[in-house]
Amino acid sequence: MTAALNLSSITRHHPGAEQPTLAEVDLEVQDGEMVAVLGPSGSGKTTLLRVAAGLEQPESGDVLLDGMSVMGVPPERRDLTVMFQKPHLFPHLSVLDNVAFAHRLRGRSRSQSRAAAQRYLDLVHLGDFGGRRPRQLSGGQEQRVALARALAASRRVMLLDEPFSALDTNLRTSMHQLLGEVRAALDPTIVIVTHDLDEAGLADRVAVLVEGRIEQLDAIERLYAAPKTLAVARLVGGFNELPGRVESGAHHSSLGSFTLAGAVEADGPAILLVRKERLDLTHLDARPTVTGRVVQVRQSGPHQDVVVELDHPLSGARLRVDVEARLGTSLRPGDRTGVVVPSSDGLWAVRDPGAHEPSRDEDVVVMPTVYDEATTRRAEAGRVGPRAPFGGRR
Amino acid sequence: MRRQAAVRWRAAHQSLRTVIPALLVFWLVIPLTPLLLWAGASRWSGTSRLPQDLGLRGWQEALDAGMIAALARSGLLGAAVALIATPLGVMAGRALGWRLLRRPALPSVVLLGPVVLAPFAVAMGLDVVILRLGVPGEVAVVLVLSVFALPYTTFTMRATYLGLDPALEEQARVLGASSRQARRRVTLPAATTGLVTATGLAFLVGWSDYAVTLLIGGGQIVTAPMLIGSSAAGSGNDALTSTLALSASLPPLMALAVFTCAASRRRTAVHS
Repeated sequence: MTAALNLSSITRHHPGAEQPTLAEVDLEVQDGEMVAVLGPSGSGKTTLLRVAAGLEQPESGDVLLDGMSVMGVPPERRDLTVMFQKPHLFPHLSVLDNVAFAHRLRGRSRSQSRAAAQRYLDLVHLGDFGGRRPRQLSGGQEQRVALARALAASRRVMLLDEPFSALDTNLRTSMHQLLGEVRAALDPTIVIVTHDLDEAGLADRVAVLVEGRIEQLDAIERLYAAPKTLAVARLVGGFNELPGRVESGAHHSSLGSFTLAGAVEADGPAILLVRKERLDLTHLDARPTVTGRVVQVRQSGPHQDVVVELDHPLSGARLRVDVEARLGTSLRPGDRTGVVVPSSDGLWAVRDPGAHEPSRDEDVVVMPTVYDEATTRRAEAGRVGPRAPFGGRR
Repeated sequence: MRRQAAVRWRAAHQSLRTVIPALLVFWLVIPLTPLLLWAGASRWSGTSRLPQDLGLRGWQEALDAGMIAALARSGLLGAAVALIATPLGVMAGRALGWRLLRRPALPSVVLLGPVVLAPFAVAMGLDVVILRLGVPGEVAVVLVLSVFALPYTTFTMRATYLGLDPALEEQARVLGASSRQARRRVTLPAATTGLVTATGLAFLVGWSDYAVTLLIGGGQIVTAPMLIGSSAAGSGNDALTSTLALSASLPPLMALAVFTCAASRRRTAVHS
């Protein structure tokens, strides 16, 4: 089946930049599908969208719409539209005429265009706002109008560039709900660029873009369960990491050997990933996998994160894990506790970009930290060693 | 103590808000008052505070002196200057406001040049060039005045474009507008206020010019300022001079009043 939008081997350098903003990026979006491009700031998400829209030209690669190359075709003649982070409503036009703009360009009469625009305004629950000027709208209403205007353009593909990132949490949630309603009603083909995991979760598939490369294109659940690279794991967040080696389907480290299920990383240096919610805290006498001492209990949304410093079985090195506990845990810093490591289906290993095993006398800190670009860069450059903090957004 | 100081400060602030506009009106009205009085006076000797006889002698003499034709010429000159300087100012202002130039300093200095240089000096210099090139006087006056008007249109449009997001044009294009349509249907209408101001300023440069019209036109193009200048310099007829000055001032003042009212009504409509 021919993809509605196909970005093929797109490479783009920004002037003066040493590294390419986009490096051989491939992305296929099927008809009626919604794909999210997820990545940290500066990863090239917006550039990818601008290249697809024809607002920037790549050095190499091709953009195909329904199998036809649109390279060299100006933005207005590509069968796609963009909704930017800012609503960019035209200030001299009323809300209704903003939505009717694309129809008017196609040569429809004012009344026909307005009638069509009214339907889209109704769809975004702003049917009574047609007579207003953009400056009379709130931020959320402006974005709704921008969405209606993009839909009214009736293009083959709709590109959304972090459209809701400037809105507060409640408004963002309501916009996500609205997007769901729009998809149910019109089934548009959408590419949404975002750095928000919740927003990415609205999509059928998520492309993780890190430093201009797509690291993984998968359903959001797969990103949480089976990240392909350390960079993806850190972007998704919530993973505990344990450096070691994979040999014969098991991960071996100073903590012991853990059998891996599913697609196992090829033998060699690898990092064992365990989600913090897959670890359990238990009494010392309940035969835990490992034991340790609580060093921190902190609030994390509706849960609590308990940081446990493990009793290292082989040396005095420090090894910490982050365990998600339900609210109201009675554990306090200094308490001793047991930690139960899940069975093989809760474990995952990725290639270790640092590519060397920890020596036993090194201190190893293994707990998620807030994702930042510097750690990803180090990971990409293969400079993440066992001492480096790692992890992801919770 | 602090509360009393706050009350005193508020009272002072309130009086300033009344006094300053009053002073501004006074400053603008005072120079026009003698003109108004002279334009309605038949006789006003130097020792009297007010005209001794009222009448329309000045208006009759102004009509006889060719006031209508001079005003029409001034209007044409202003319109021609606005027609040339405004589109050029829009293009230059867009490039400067949206930082489309790599080195904007040099164009800015060149564009500001005519404002910095004395018009007489520039006109005298250009007069020689134009005579040698054989450019007709009317065309030469329009061209030179357009150069003088360009800084006003450019910098007005620069400020306007600074307040407009360039992404508006990109947004229009991804909705199906060509780059020309994006400018015509989106950015230019969004810049209407600046555009009207720039056009008005360019028009006024042509409408009120004396030096360039005299030196380059060689006295052959009789505009309203030329008529006022010759009357003020040679006739000693204050009623005529005042009437001419008043009739040259009224059209731009009325246009300004209409524009201000329209803009204010538009703002009120938007906020209601």
